[in-house]
Amino acid sequence: MSTFVGRLRGLPSVQVTLAIALLVLGFLITAQIAAEGPRNRYSTEERSPLIETALGLQAQQEALKSKIVGLRSSIGDLEAQDPGAADSLRRLYRDLEDARLAAGLIAVTGRGVAFRLEDGTQGGGLDALVTARDVRTLIEELWLAGAEGIEVNGERVVGTTAILDIGGSILANSAYLSPPYTIKAIGPSDLYNRLRASVAFVAFVQGRVEPSGLRLSVAELDSIDLRAFAGTVNLRYATPASSPAP
Amino acid sequence: MNTTTRNNRLTVAAVAGLLGILVVGQLRGQAGVPGLSSLTVTELTQLIANVTAGNDQLRDEVTDLTRQAAKLTEAGDRGETTVGELTADLARIRAWAGLTAVSGQGIAITVNGRIAGVGIEELINELRNAGAEAIAVDGIRIVAGVVVAGEPGALSVANSALGDSFEIRAIGSPQILTGTLTRTGGVIAQVIATYPDVRLSVTPLDAMTLAATDLDLGPTNASPRL
Repeated sequence: MSTFVGRLRGLPSVQVTLAIALLVLGFLITAQIAAEGPRNRYSTEERSPLIETALGLQAQQEALKSKIVGLRSSIGDLEAQDPGAADSLRRLYRDLEDARLAAGLIAVTGRGVAFRLEDGTQGGGLDALVTARDVRTLIEELWLAGAEGIEVNGERVVGTTAILDIGGSILANSAYLSPPYTIKAIGPSDLYNRLRASVAFVAFVQGRVEPSGLRLSVAELDSIDLRAFAGTVNLRYATPASSPAP
Repeated sequence: MNTTTRNNRLTVAAVAGLLGILVVGQLRGQAGVPGLSSLTVTELTQLIANVTAGNDQLRDEVTDLTRQAAKLTEAGDRGETTVGELTADLARIRAWAGLTAVSGQGIAITVNGRIAGVGIEELINELRNAGAEAIAVDGIRIVAGVVVAGEPGALSVANSALGDSFEIRAIGSPQILTGTLTRTGGVIAQVIATYPDVRLSVTPLDAMTLAATDLDLGPTNASPRL
């Protein structure tokens, strides 16, 4: 034994360092390969181009949405510059502005609340992940409490907004949103008090958020900005009708 | 310093450099695609399909808005009024927002049995996902802010009580709406699994008219951001 220790001591320190570094490198590579397995290695190879494609599409989506918001703003300006601004036309402009505001096509500001909904700590299992259902529940409760406008991670919630699960993230207005989710709502000054008084909201917090370890925080703010909805308002199947069905 | 010592140090430096590159590469790879790196191939494919379809709609919207802006510019240059353009734009926005009645083809979902509001909201969310352009529950137009809520037997929508039997109507492609709702493992299967006593049936309709909302959607606490 003493001979072995003596030999070790006799080795140059550089060789010992090199041996340890190579050992760590070999261990890391082996552990990585063993953990992934053949199927996962194949998936990883498949995933890279898919992730690149998804990123490219998201960038395109952002650009298109910016363009839509810009065009809508320009159209509003052009309409306001109409030379024949008679009373009837002014009323038409006002109606258009009101309709756009009601439809969520105009960015708004006002008093409200901002929630932050986050996944639970690691090891909490699938229940500790925020789902589309959780986000929708919070949105529905905010509407019922009197919210006038809502946004999730920058996506304005409108009448056509679907919120879907995709892996551990969500899709809203076809936009990919990953946690944490910031849900902002403008409404009456007692919006949060109304929300807290809701049996369904309390049940959501006590029955879903707390047992699963999800993290929900809230701030009441004097000023909240909501973006305009930047999606399509084209109708392919529906046409304006003169009167409702009997 | 002899040659052996120098070679050893160079080797250690090379290994350390390699380790550093691997670690930095891994960290950058993960940081560059938040969330996406955790998705499976199937989920990524689903995401790509969804975003592609959404982008196609956005391109159509850009085309329409560009055309509309060009018309307004031309009219302005000629000193003409644009009543026709404004009226058409107003009609389109009001119809889309639920402020006017709309007609078209679509589907009717008949609901029979006791179901909670969340179950109906699941159906409505899936209808939106499938491209429904207008939705009404028991004749009440579903617009931003209108929620079907309540426990089974105590459902309500926009302060109006719903019984245990009612109809959801949606305007859109009957084939797409029906296919999305009724696919294996789809939302109807999920709702029935959660509420086994509920009966749901989907019927395509060639024509229907959905009434406008009677709510005032104009904000009173929010103002346009300048």
